[in-house]
Amino acid sequence: MSVASAVAEQVLNGLVVGMVYVLLAAGLSIIFGVMDVINFAHGELFALGAYFAFAIAGPLGGAGFWVALVVAPLLVGVIGMAIERLTVKRLYGRDPLYHILLTFGLVLIINDLITSVWGKSAQPFPIPSVLDQPVALFGFNYSLYNYGIIIFGSALALGTWLLLNRTRFGMIIRAGSEDREMVRNLGINIDRYYTLTFGFGAALAGVAGIVLGAYQNVSPTMGSSVIIPAFVIVVLGGLGSFRGAVVGGLFVGLVQTFARTYTPFLEGLIVFLLMIAVLVVRPTGLFGTSIGGGEHHDGALLHGSGGGVLSSETRAKIGYAAVGVLVVVPFFAELTGVTYSVTLLEDILIWALFALSLDLVLGYAGLVSLGHTLFYGVGAYASVLTLMHVSPSVLVALLVAVAVCAAIAWGVGYLSIRVSGVFFAMITLGFAELFYNAVFKFDFTGGSDGLFGVDVFYGLAGLGIDPREFEVPLGVFTLDGGIVQYYFLLAVVVGSYLLARRLIRAPFGTVLQSIRESEERASFIGYDVTAYKRRAFVVSGGLAGLAGGLFAANNGYVAPSFLHWINSGEVIVMTVLGGMGTLYGPMLGAGVFVAAEDILSSYIEQWQLVIGVLFVLFVIFVPRGLVSLPQTVAEHPMVGPVIRDRTGVKEAEVEQHD
Amino acid sequence: MTDPILQTTDLTKEFGNLVAVDDVNLEVEQGEFRSLIGPNGAGKTTTFNLLTGALRPTHGTVTFNGEDVTGLPPHQRVRRGLGRSFQITNVFSGLTVRENVRLAAQAAREGGFKPVEEFLQRATSFDDVNEHTDRVLDRSGLLGRGDEPADVLAYGDKRRLEIAIVLATDPDMVLLDEPTAGMSAEETRATMDLIDEVLSDRTLLLIEHDIDLVMRVSDRITVLHRGAVLAEGTPDAVSEDPDVREAYFGGVEA
Ligand SMILES: Nc1ncnc2c1ncn2[C@@H]1O[C@H](COP(=O)(O)OP(=O)(O)OP(=O)(O)O)[C@@H](O)[C@H]1O
Ligand SMILES: [Mg+2]
Repeated sequence: MSVASAVAEQVLNGLVVGMVYVLLAAGLSIIFGVMDVINFAHGELFALGAYFAFAIAGPLGGAGFWVALVVAPLLVGVIGMAIERLTVKRLYGRDPLYHILLTFGLVLIINDLITSVWGKSAQPFPIPSVLDQPVALFGFNYSLYNYGIIIFGSALALGTWLLLNRTRFGMIIRAGSEDREMVRNLGINIDRYYTLTFGFGAALAGVAGIVLGAYQNVSPTMGSSVIIPAFVIVVLGGLGSFRGAVVGGLFVGLVQTFARTYTPFLEGLIVFLLMIAVLVVRPTGLFGTSIGGGEHHDGALLHGSGGGVLSSETRAKIGYAAVGVLVVVPFFAELTGVTYSVTLLEDILIWALFALSLDLVLGYAGLVSLGHTLFYGVGAYASVLTLMHVSPSVLVALLVAVAVCAAIAWGVGYLSIRVSGVFFAMITLGFAELFYNAVFKFDFTGGSDGLFGVDVFYGLAGLGIDPREFEVPLGVFTLDGGIVQYYFLLAVVVGSYLLARRLIRAPFGTVLQSIRESEERASFIGYDVTAYKRRAFVVSGGLAGLAGGLFAANNGYVAPSFLHWINSGEVIVMTVLGGMGTLYGPMLGAGVFVAAEDILSSYIEQWQLVIGVLFVLFVIFVPRGLVSLPQTVAEHPMVGPVIRDRTGVKEAEVEQHD
Repeated sequence: MTDPILQTTDLTKEFGNLVAVDDVNLEVEQGEFRSLIGPNGAGKTTTFNLLTGALRPTHGTVTFNGEDVTGLPPHQRVRRGLGRSFQITNVFSGLTVRENVRLAAQAAREGGFKPVEEFLQRATSFDDVNEHTDRVLDRSGLLGRGDEPADVLAYGDKRRLEIAIVLATDPDMVLLDEPTAGMSAEETRATMDLIDEVLSDRTLLLIEHDIDLVMRVSDRITVLHRGAVLAEGTPDAVSEDPDVREAYFGGVEA
């Protein structure tokens, strides 16, 4: 094959993938443009389309594919509409963060449903035999099916454009995205159009899923593997811009395909580099008009607070009690033989620290970092690399982890904090994905295997404890190195909490709280808001790095999965679950989440589904988190009066003590 | 004549085709009480936004205390002594009254904070900041309400807190955007008394719709109309200006 035809083939391949992205990103972008909803579940709707088609086409044989191509997207559309009606609708007007959280819960639910119906492994989805043949065009052979995708995709994109620009439906939703109230005042029931828009976007994702499913195969991970590129495209093209989705989709499809062939090293990286570059130079994306796509929501982040019901004294007592329990648990574990509980607690403590770090930016500085696992993962890699190459001392390793992450946070913050809201979320996600893809490429990071087999020493310069040699007989049982590891971890986490509390109570922290209340006001009393946010981000990145470093040192390994975006999602879930804007809330949230995940996963196969459902309910009904429950209960019309009487007495007593 | 504390040259702001502020040349003297009036949409708030750095002018400059501050962000102008209150009440509503004022006092602290103080010491442990906070609370009549959350304050008290916050930043000049908007006659008088009492030693630039009030308190008045300065002078001179009567009193009040 000549060079020219090789390039032409690459172009065609790029257009095929690009078309899939166009369909996917168009739906995502329309949903964002019209309703300000960042739909993380879009990838799962895409996968559902593929699986529905797979289920329909299989039994029908020959013509099955064509039936499926019509029926499956309609089904996905209906599911999309149901999702909008039952869940998304309840969150309009809240900060986009809550849509992210909600749809993250939906990802867990839909994905678990897919695996429980169709299994975990990928399955072939044959393309119809009429299309399964090469055609000779422009002097070389190329699959008819691929030509079909390009033509079909273009037709659909054109149809969507016509729908948006030449029909009443399109006019209304475009007007609605500009000015919701105005449309309402015209007597138009905009809610119905929202539902239809969501359904339409979902159906487009469904089509994209079918097309790609037949091009490759169907697998339960197909959703999570396209959602991030789809976001990149939407951001590149400009949030809410249809033209941007089309140009961005084709462009990313081409760039990815060419990178795979000609610069394999950049495959997986180049797209994120592009996104970061575009956002830094032109934060509105290529075709975006306003930065404010997401700014005209009236909702704010909802913070938890335990105040009002539990006095600060009570909370302090609960805190001491909790630490007390954590101190004695290993002894009980040894006595009862349930040593597993210690392992679980270690997990909880590490996630608690990670959630605490996120809360400093999310809960206190109001920055939605969607890529916080960047710091967790880099901290883990830095710590393992230090243990392997520099010093076996865990202290040195953690110090390096914190320093490296703080430095990266400074860089990322420098580039991204001047852009606001949704864009910050996307840039942080982009950076995390960049690092995630990068660790596969290098030898020193161990590629896809990661790095393992490190031993740690709890001390410095030979002074300290080697857990492998540590053994203290104590009556009926023996304390071994595991206990050193546990107490070290406990001390670091409690110490970090105390440090964070100091920061929050110091002038620095009070300024963060004022920024959270009103950024404008804070800058007009003389605070450099951007500088404060950057500093908070640096502290937060350092603490997240510490969490990652601790996990890696404790378990003696690190792998690319440490940098996977699912972690970023989970840590946000924990933070909100517990109650952001309080320091203990997110730690509590981490405890509940990790414990629930652990218990559920050992009893139920569909534990993700259960967690997803619980989480969706939680975001809708208890957005202020677990720590707000006492207050929510106290304010309930039925129990309210009773509890208020009792706490009234308590508070009076406290005042007397003072 | 002393140098003006605030001066603008050819200050202009365009929003697309709309010229919201059109070649405005202002000179406000040290210690002066200046009012900026004009019909709705005349460009008063936009002018404030240009003066405080919330918006960048399309062209023109802003000079404050002899320094060109056109390129400076808001917080740096505040630090140089240019305070502002907002047309729409803008206080830290989730924090207590005292914390609202303390944050402003903290921002204005002489010499700032050493890193250890800034990051590790309790914010409420700085005597100078606390004293300053108490003084401001006392002068603005909010001392007894320091522990109340700002969002439960009555509307008039919120505006009062707004002024207290500005006062706590210890400004040389204060820009007040309709500080009495939405107040009863009673509250308006109390607020103007407060401004008179606590801010009378500073240079003031006031946006206000209540003409009688403006006539009473101002040293000089600048009238904006469609973004441009229509007239400027003492209250008496301005009220007799035929252009002003035509465009402003004639049109809006009738
Ligand atoms: N950010 C903006 N983008 C576009 N136009 C704006 C913007 N801010 C103000 N304008 C327009 O500029 C003009 C001047 O507005 P401005 O708020 O300065 O008037 P004002 O004199 O303060 O009026 P009011 O007495 O109602 O407060 C108005 O027509 C307004 O619609
Ligand atoms: Mg105004």
